[in-house]
Amino acid sequence: MSDLLQVTNITAGYGDGPAILDGARLTVEPGKVHCIIGPNGAGKSTLLKAICGMLTIRKGDVIFKGERLNGLRPDQILRKGICFVPQERALFPKMTVRENLRMGGYVLNDAKLRDRRIDEILERFPVLRERADQHAGTMSGGQQQTLAMARTLIVKPDIVMLDEPSLGLAPKIVQEMFDIMKMMSQEGVTVLLVEQNAMMGLKNSDWGVVLDLGRTLFEGPAEAVLADPRIQELYLGGRKVA
Amino acid sequence: MTDILQILILGLALGGVIALMGSGLSLVFGVMRIVNLAHPSLIICGAYVSYWAFKLWGLDPIATLPIAALIMAAIGVLLYRLMFESQAKSARYSEMTVLLTFALAMIVEGFLGAAFTNTQRVTSPEYATDAFFIGSLFIPKGQLYAGCVSLAIIGALTLFLNYSRLGYAIRATTQNREAAELLGVNVNLISMIAFAIGIGLAGAAGSLVSFVFSFFPAKQWEWIAMLMSVVVLGGMGSVLGTVVAALLLSVIAAFVGTWVGATWSTMTFFLALFVILLIRPQGLFGEKPELA
Repeated sequence: MSDLLQVTNITAGYGDGPAILDGARLTVEPGKVHCIIGPNGAGKSTLLKAICGMLTIRKGDVIFKGERLNGLRPDQILRKGICFVPQERALFPKMTVRENLRMGGYVLNDAKLRDRRIDEILERFPVLRERADQHAGTMSGGQQQTLAMARTLIVKPDIVMLDEPSLGLAPKIVQEMFDIMKMMSQEGVTVLLVEQNAMMGLKNSDWGVVLDLGRTLFEGPAEAVLADPRIQELYLGGRKVA
Repeated sequence: MTDILQILILGLALGGVIALMGSGLSLVFGVMRIVNLAHPSLIICGAYVSYWAFKLWGLDPIATLPIAALIMAAIGVLLYRLMFESQAKSARYSEMTVLLTFALAMIVEGFLGAAFTNTQRVTSPEYATDAFFIGSLFIPKGQLYAGCVSLAIIGALTLFLNYSRLGYAIRATTQNREAAELLGVNVNLISMIAFAIGIGLAGAAGSLVSFVFSFFPAKQWEWIAMLMSVVVLGGMGSVLGTVVAALLLSVIAAFVGTWVGATWSTMTFFLALFVILLIRPQGLFGEKPELA
């Protein structure tokens, strides 16, 4: 199968600061759930931010469908088909659920198409339909995360990148979030997520990527990564992480 | 009873104008976290546009309001590019803008003083000194017209912010700049447009102010305190809050002015600012300050 997205040994950091990523690589195959794991400070979130254009890539390439994305702005990368949901504060708290969805379709020029897709999403997620006219900031954590994920579907992206979608949610709700991701991938939307809880993330994914100190240690099928002794070492070994 | 109604009417009409004066300040703060201390000096610029158009060519200040608004909006674009765009990534952006706009206020005042002297001016179309009489009530036409035009402009602004695509983008940028950018909003461009609209509103307010109050370049210092108290009470960045606060404070000031003494009327605003900051710093419609 051909790669949808390929990240080759990139170096990136914030502003003029030190490089957070140095030698990070990644392959993304269409229609699968990919999980990036690694200890705190490994550069997991930074990698997603570099792909979506929020950070300048100093070295290496991000290739999407054979096209180089380096140097493009986030709005340009979104139009190419990569959607990024940042950690926690992804919504507009004082806008209603419907208004948030409408912002999700901001790049669509066809208002009718946008409204039709908003209706489709409200149809598919009853929890959002019931709260369509409620301010997003007044919903529970799980409902907010559902909205943030559902909102990406309005532009029918190729890849949805999620930064710790399980953060601060109860275990039962976390499973619901993974179920939504699975559903998305079955419909052909490729998912790339960062997960703090490595075991849970890998159990719910097809592909695993292990990051440490800004570089990719190894990647492979999720079961294989889960069984890899190096994982045990990384998480349970004696090395202290600041 | 008639007295109370009379004071209420006068307070509300003036409150409408003050609401328009404050709405641009609030919008600019909401979207860009710029505390624009130069806002009143830019209102005075707008006032001069309508003043001279009336003085030289006899043009009605309400008719020249769109022109004053457009001229000031264009100046807003220039100011944004010159002063704020390059600072946008600075971590101390808000503090920096306070100093920058303070300097701008002094520069504008100096420029206006040199060009037009510090003489008190007031545009005097016929209705500015006329009034409607209903029974024993009188409603000054100038204040009534200015109040109504102000509220109509704010109404249009609200519709624009709530229903247009650009309005959505501006609100989204206000609430969560990063998320807006990730959804495809060009936040720099939106910031510039919002700033231009804010300064355009200052120009529009200036046209109305020019026949409601007398003005001169240094008048800005009195207005900045008045507008800050309105914007703070309303909740920094909330246009609706600004309107409610302006009407409320203006009515209170009108009662204080009548029952306590005219000199105490302006004090209402300063005292309110002080009390609000102590008791409810997030204002009526603002959010509680977040701990970053």
